[in-house]
Amino acid sequence: MTESLHGQDTAMATLSLNALRKTYPNGFTALHGIDLSIDDGELIVVVGPSGCGKSTLLRMLAGLESISDGELAIDGRRVNDLEPAERDIAMVFQNYALYPHMSVADNMGYALKNRGVPKAERRRKVEETARLIGLEDLLERRPRQLSGGQRQRVAMGRAIVREPKVFLFDEPLSNLDAKLRVQMRIEIRRLQKRLGVTAVYVTHDQVEAMTLADRLVVMNGGHIEQVGTPMHLYECPASRFVAGFIGSPAMNFLDARQTHGTLTLPCDTRIAAPSARDAIDTPVCLGIRPEHLLPVDEPDDTTLTTRVELVEPLGADTLAHVRLEGQDEPLVARLDGVHAVAEGDTLYLRPDADRLHLFDHETGRRLDDKDIHSCPSSPSSHLA
Amino acid sequence: MATFQRHRLTPWLLLAPQLVIVAVFFFWPAAQAVLQAFYVEDPFGLGRTFVAFENFARVLASAEYYRALGITVAFSIGVALGAMALALLLAVLADRVIKGAHGYKTLLIWPYAVAPAVAGVLWMFMLDPELGLISAWLGALGIDWNHQLNGGQAMALVVMASIWKQMSYNFVFFLAGLQAIPRSLLEAAAIDNAGPWRRFWTITFPLLSPTSFFLLVMNSVYAFFEIFGTIDATTAGGPGGATRTLVYKVYEDGFIGYDLGSSAAQSVLLMLLVGLLTLLQFRYLERKVQY
Repeated sequence: MTESLHGQDTAMATLSLNALRKTYPNGFTALHGIDLSIDDGELIVVVGPSGCGKSTLLRMLAGLESISDGELAIDGRRVNDLEPAERDIAMVFQNYALYPHMSVADNMGYALKNRGVPKAERRRKVEETARLIGLEDLLERRPRQLSGGQRQRVAMGRAIVREPKVFLFDEPLSNLDAKLRVQMRIEIRRLQKRLGVTAVYVTHDQVEAMTLADRLVVMNGGHIEQVGTPMHLYECPASRFVAGFIGSPAMNFLDARQTHGTLTLPCDTRIAAPSARDAIDTPVCLGIRPEHLLPVDEPDDTTLTTRVELVEPLGADTLAHVRLEGQDEPLVARLDGVHAVAEGDTLYLRPDADRLHLFDHETGRRLDDKDIHSCPSSPSSHLA
Repeated sequence: MATFQRHRLTPWLLLAPQLVIVAVFFFWPAAQAVLQAFYVEDPFGLGRTFVAFENFARVLASAEYYRALGITVAFSIGVALGAMALALLLAVLADRVIKGAHGYKTLLIWPYAVAPAVAGVLWMFMLDPELGLISAWLGALGIDWNHQLNGGQAMALVVMASIWKQMSYNFVFFLAGLQAIPRSLLEAAAIDNAGPWRRFWTITFPLLSPTSFFLLVMNSVYAFFEIFGTIDATTAGGPGGATRTLVYKVYEDGFIGYDLGSSAAQSVLLMLLVGLLTLLQFRYLERKVQY
């Protein structure tokens, strides 16, 4: 299933993170105990807003930051105190970190040279990798003579040629333009699967995260919010934070009050709650994805009456930015195809009762806990 | 554009102060020196005779001149290498300091503010055979230090004083150069199995090469010209001409020996020599430090 680049067996590699903590000398705690186990050949994407600790986590895996507490093991071997070079990992940096004074070939062969790989073999491996990623004509160039996409490729090649146990990616596509980003995203995915190397990929771009990941790790404030497949996280976000972070445009949130099986929205719209809790007039947070607001012709007591503020026709669908009549709550609805809505129109939207998300008003945790397990893509039990 | 055209004189007026200074203190004396190099003049400036290249021929035929040239070359290499190596070492160390880094850096930059002559005198006192602190320690170690008698030691003294002074200048540039190297490059190298020593020689040092090249030019020029104050204040070219560099010989022959023609010829030669050296450095080294 996996194919080794240079004809040898690909190293198996699992990663296990056990209560990893990072506390800086000034007392700031960047990570509050991270538990995660990563399977061999898996591509894990760590996603979260700036300052959530995702880069720190990656740097700790690489050995560029010390581990304050907890244990990090690669293939069951504790590597907490090993130097970056001893961990057998490769990292692709955000700015690529190519050595400007070396040719592409020397950049790629640097690690091999440091390991004492003979020149002929080094050359063979570099050329082989260059062919794999389409760099064979650029081997003698210097990094400054390359375009952004080519530099990105060299950075990838430099990581691949070493045949590491684990690939680490630190927002590798954020310096590329949108078109190239999509292209490289696909290429990274293809290469990673082809080589079967375990990979950890950090990004703040949730589209990138969704499309690349075998499993997604959503981080917030130094904690893991949720781990699971992209579709699982999309369909069953464990918290309001995950719900708001995954998906574009973001999920709509409305304050509501729940009495048993009925939700009452601010505009007196009543809809059936996804879970009949023993609740009487309890404030909850209702989450509705833009595509689950369905336009209807006639209003009734299950619809929301909204005023259209802005229309974004995207071709395949149309985004309507609306405000709840009388409430001024901003909402986004994704309408199929090209819709003849215009600014100032009144739009009646019916929330799809089967696709609602309920979150605790205080903690933001998902309320219909038991439903998580009946979600289409059930959560994997990888949380250590 | 039209407005600009009308003020054709303004740029020249703005440049005038600087141009006047350069003209009066550089071009005029330099032109005088070139002119004088072709004459033989009596010490009191009462009369002079045009001798064409005789002054140059005399200088280039004298063993004294070649001795001074040798001393200058040895001195320059010693100062440039010493000052650059030490400055690089200090810059690398200072770059690692996190607490109180500013204080360290300021202290390391201070010697540059000291006049060359003062720097020389400072070292002369520390190494004075009778009173010096360091010479006393050296004496305790069984080393008989007397730069007033020992030519090698006199040379060591001026080299040390010059290194100490020039090091600060180099330090500032090396530190800036080090700080301009992206951290991620060194991190990538660390991941690529390069230990600290290897990282320095294969990443840091090559990336510093534009800085090193610039400093090599500056240090050479310093060692050839600006060293005058240090030598004059400490050894005055002695003992027995052991520290008589080209620039000191220009001074000695011109203002002590009153052989103005020869002195002028020597300064012209020195100018050509440094010009040639700088040209060579740019031609052969600069190409290698580009990346």
